[in-house]
Amino acid sequence: MNSTRPSTFTQYRTLLAKDIRREFRTREMLTAMGIYAVLMLVVFGAALATTVAAFDILQMSGGLIWALIVFTSLLGLTRSFSYEKEEGALEALLLAPLDRSVIFLSKASSNLLFLAVVELIALPLFYFFFLTGSGLAPTFWMTLGPLIVGTVGIAGIGTLLATITMGTRGKDVLLAVLFIPLIFPLLYACVCATTVALLGSEMIMDTYVPSMALAIGYDVVMILVSWLLYDFVVSV
Amino acid sequence: MTEKKHPLRGLDSAAVVLLAIGAVLTTVAFVLSFVSAPLVYGAAVDAPALIGGQMVTNKLLLSQKIFYFHMPVAVTSFVALLFTAIFGALFLVRRERRYDLRAKVATEIALVFILMTMVSGEFWERFEWGVWWTWEPRLTTYFILMLLVIGYFILRGAVDDPERRAVFASVFGIIAFIDVPICFLVTRLVPTSVHPVILRTDSGLGPMMLLPLMLSLVGMFCIAFGLYRFRLREQRLRERLEALKEGLED
Repeated sequence: MNSTRPSTFTQYRTLLAKDIRREFRTREMLTAMGIYAVLMLVVFGAALATTVAAFDILQMSGGLIWALIVFTSLLGLTRSFSYEKEEGALEALLLAPLDRSVIFLSKASSNLLFLAVVELIALPLFYFFFLTGSGLAPTFWMTLGPLIVGTVGIAGIGTLLATITMGTRGKDVLLAVLFIPLIFPLLYACVCATTVALLGSEMIMDTYVPSMALAIGYDVVMILVSWLLYDFVVSV
Repeated sequence: MTEKKHPLRGLDSAAVVLLAIGAVLTTVAFVLSFVSAPLVYGAAVDAPALIGGQMVTNKLLLSQKIFYFHMPVAVTSFVALLFTAIFGALFLVRRERRYDLRAKVATEIALVFILMTMVSGEFWERFEWGVWWTWEPRLTTYFILMLLVIGYFILRGAVDDPERRAVFASVFGIIAFIDVPICFLVTRLVPTSVHPVILRTDSGLGPMMLLPLMLSLVGMFCIAFGLYRFRLREQRLRERLEALKEGLED
């Protein structure tokens, strides 16, 4: 008897497809984020220009990668809701009889997707610009762990905060003010895990495992809480 | 507008008494910490150690007395933030404006105590560890906590509609609270932390050290609660005044 009403998964897929289709047509977010990421690499290049030749960039490349990801994601998150607001799309979405958490999940997924695409472009470029001179450790593939966990967390927490700041004055700055301290524990854990994976020392697991445990735990708690509280934020 | 007798009026008069008790207790604790508590070796460092690029030796340091003030103030700020989260959750469930006001006042008290913790901790770092700042786990997480609380007020200031402001602030207050257990437990989770674990059964604090610490802690709770009630009453009176003013204009 409920055959006329689309299932939750169908709703989710429709909303996600809408975001992706829009991005394919306008290429607004990906271009902005991609160019911003490249510009940050240029700034890194200038910042590191006069370091001595023997300077081991591997030591700090984990931190640089995460600085790149955090600031690029900030740019994308601000944009992800601005166009929903502009044409009144969000009001229509709220009028539709669907669960609010579906909106959260679809929006977080599209943010995650776009951020992942930007990382796929920016991280090889980071390697090309900075790391070709220094040999990568055989454990470098383990950076995938913190990259995935960190990006998921950023997309989840960022979606909630972007929804909050959407309706405020000075939203771009406010998003940064709320977002950066809130993801700090995740950021810290991911930088630790990424750095040890890039360096590939013998004691790698001593740092890698607790860091990943902290990052995953933080992700789970934060995304659960964001998901629970999203209904209040989006419908007010 | 009818005059409504508030059921918690008794708490407001208790606030005066509590504030006085708090003042006495913290003063007694302050005196005791110098008179009765023995000197101890600086922080958890009992051998020359390199912290933040500086050698820290195991001299008997008078600056350790900061501890009797620093830790109770920090614990009080955690408790105040717990109330922010509780009142935030109550607001989201019941949608009564008084819970939002309470959450806001509790966060204001938390900010006051956080600033006191940061200032006393700053002295501690300089004189016990020999540095102005180090990215030590608890220091970092507490600094983040301060930024989150400041962010809470920036968020409140950026929303005009009271209903939206209350919802956003409640939600943010709840998420920001997640950093409190992290900050509290980080010294247990990360063994490299320079902060000692105080709240445990074998903390090594003798009775003459425990006494001023506990007096100070209870005193700080009293002061925080007294300040909270005072501020809450002030805010409520202000709201009533605004309502009366608007009534006159009509």
